[in-house]
Amino acid sequence: MTDTRIDELLDGPAYGTPVAERGPLLLDLLRDQVSSAAARSPAYANVVRHWPVPLDEADAVADLPYLPVSVFKRNPPLALVPETDVLRELHSSSTTGQAPSRIAVDRVTALRMTRGAVQILRDFVGPERRPYLVMDVPASNAATTEVGARGAAIRALMPFASSVTYGLRADPSGESVPDVDVLRAFVDEHGDGPVLVYGFTSVLWTALVRPLAESGLDLGLPNVHLLHSGGWKKLAAEAVSKEEFTSATASVFGCAPDRVIDYYGMVENLGIVYPDCQFGNKHAPVTGEVIVRDPLTLAPVGEGETGLLQVCSVLPESFPGHLLLTEDLATVKMHDGCPCGRPGLAFRFAGRAPRTETRGCGNVDARRPHPLEVTTA
Amino acid sequence: MSVATQIPTATHPQVMRHATRDDVRGAARALRRALASETMDVDAILSVCDLWSRAILDEPAREVPGTVFLSLWLKRGSLEALLCREFGDDHLAGSWRHEGRARLRSHPVGVVGHWPAANVEIQPLLSAVCALLGGNAALVRVPPALVDDVEALLAPLARIDPDGRLSRLLSLVSYEGTDHRCHETMARNVDGAMIWGGAEAVTAVRSLPFAHWARLAVFGPRTSLAVMDREAWQDEDDRGRWCIRLARDVWQFDQRACSSPQTLCVETHPGDDLTPLVDALTEAFNREQDLHPRESLSPDRVLAAARARAEHLLGDPRAGARFPAAPHWSILLHPAPEAGVCPSRPRPAQGRTLHVLPVRDAADAAALCDGDVQTVGLAFTDAEAERRLVTAAAARGVDRLVRLGAMHVFDSPWDGRDLVRPFTRIVRHSSSCEA
Repeated sequence: MTDTRIDELLDGPAYGTPVAERGPLLLDLLRDQVSSAAARSPAYANVVRHWPVPLDEADAVADLPYLPVSVFKRNPPLALVPETDVLRELHSSSTTGQAPSRIAVDRVTALRMTRGAVQILRDFVGPERRPYLVMDVPASNAATTEVGARGAAIRALMPFASSVTYGLRADPSGESVPDVDVLRAFVDEHGDGPVLVYGFTSVLWTALVRPLAESGLDLGLPNVHLLHSGGWKKLAAEAVSKEEFTSATASVFGCAPDRVIDYYGMVENLGIVYPDCQFGNKHAPVTGEVIVRDPLTLAPVGEGETGLLQVCSVLPESFPGHLLLTEDLATVKMHDGCPCGRPGLAFRFAGRAPRTETRGCGNVDARRPHPLEVTTA
Repeated sequence: MSVATQIPTATHPQVMRHATRDDVRGAARALRRALASETMDVDAILSVCDLWSRAILDEPAREVPGTVFLSLWLKRGSLEALLCREFGDDHLAGSWRHEGRARLRSHPVGVVGHWPAANVEIQPLLSAVCALLGGNAALVRVPPALVDDVEALLAPLARIDPDGRLSRLLSLVSYEGTDHRCHETMARNVDGAMIWGGAEAVTAVRSLPFAHWARLAVFGPRTSLAVMDREAWQDEDDRGRWCIRLARDVWQFDQRACSSPQTLCVETHPGDDLTPLVDALTEAFNREQDLHPRESLSPDRVLAAARARAEHLLGDPRAGARFPAAPHWSILLHPAPEAGVCPSRPRPAQGRTLHVLPVRDAADAAALCDGDVQTVGLAFTDAEAERRLVTAAAARGVDRLVRLGAMHVFDSPWDGRDLVRPFTRIVRHSSSCEA
């Protein structure tokens, strides 16, 4: 029954359902999904059982039990299906020194992931297949059972591809550099027609946009839809603003700035991405919801306020990723009524939650033996 | 000439923000000149501290976390007791103490540098006062995050120490923790150091180029726990009282101090139901939250609390928990140990997150102790059981075993060492004259 309802949602438009209808629908579906997941995982059931609001008393999606996204850093991954049913394992792009998230994906979840991403992206780039230029090296999307964040993002756009071209190559030192011959051939062949380009934001900037912008080159792809994702940490370190990135990228590709689309996504929230609308806001699709929580109270914040971002999704079957408190911050622009016409919360990504915790006299990291303990240095 | 070199006549010390190496060097020199120009006897120091203890209860100092505690500590009675314990009852008279045919008297070592941790707002002043009580001057490196709080606490000195007799022995500088050159300069210009903080910080500071005669005292990193025997939590009245005391210890310093209890070991017998205890803890935590709500909370600390809750419950389907929807506090209940199995000490989560760990015998809690554990908060009705725990825990490295509710009382000894005496020279006079 739940499966059918999810299929129906995926068959419809990504953003068509009005808020008044979507709230109860999602609460119902998410409650069922949480309940079903708890029945398959004693560990997850323990979380649900101890949540301050009992599952059947939840009045809103915000009341339902959520997990911090860091619980997916476990190895083996936190899964709801036996290992034999796991089709592939998705890995997040981890910050240096941090363990990556590991997401176990079974056949049902994989299918929903593809359908969910297509449903959303179709709303932004149209349904047609077109030549797809991946601004990455082919190795980023190698055919293995373990898929990284870049590979997952590249694959999400495959349903829109009539052909696939990789625009970067690894030089002898392993650095990603533009494959000039390939790029020239792609532009010569498809320059006037609609094309799709995807790149990780930092890779796109470092390997292509910055060097070409400095030399004043224009690739001449006016009908491109360029999507990029992956965070702004590296660009922020170079003091490159989002506006500057968009403007420079549009110049290099020879297109209008509104054809350069930044989207937020995370492997733990697979099947859902959050592209910027033409007014610079992000929206949750019909298969999910976004809640921005006040750090002091964890209650949802008001318009104009910033807090911790929680993502919600009805799509996962193989892992308990229905309600996840992320380590990212977001600002609520409005609860409904974005001029783009997409109903529900309009928000903007506000960066990673800063690490401010001071290591003080109460932070014991390395064990100190007791005085009578025999140790070897 | 930098501002620091003109310090001796300042009416009250302020924190020198963005201090440079020259500022640090100048401050140390000014303190040496102040030490050389006039001595201040211990009674005069105690008098100023006693006035200070009352003055910081006014706005804006009273808003600084831990001020009530600092106020109690600065009282003449508290500090006199500390000095008498470390030096003997006749120390306050300031005269020589006779020991057989010799006589002894303490003198300061000079300028003592202080590297407090950034997680306890009042620590810069707790540390500095220890040095001042020994007759020393104190040069304090204030972590940038604490500058406003420390200045609020210093402000009353303008009124209570108008001639600056104590204030000119106190100099405070603030620079970034990564400013290695300032750290080095400070280390080269002090005769002793009190160093507080996490392992990385104290290791870095103690490896600075101190003079070969400099005396170093390192405090932390440590953690703490509480132990409750079965009678203490089974009696309805006692249970509530102990839980209120424990909640106070958890709330103070937002559970980030080395003396903050992270785990409560509870003596249980097979079949015991801990629900009444968890209910009493819930009530006490809610009460403390109402009395002392946080004004802000950084997102990473919220995430740490959420992570602790989730990891605990996901880690063992038998684990229990109690927490509100808000991140105000968490009680993480561990399953009872199997017979013959010694539980391990849960990883501290801080952020008002208390692990409740059943043990078969209250004295078994000693097995959870090692050199990391500084303080054990005690809630016992069985004195013999308490003594057994104390004997075993002390042998395993615990330095303080105190009644629950008093875990943060900053008293001497701390971390197993005196606070004032290490920064004094005990001068011995054995007379050459015939009696």
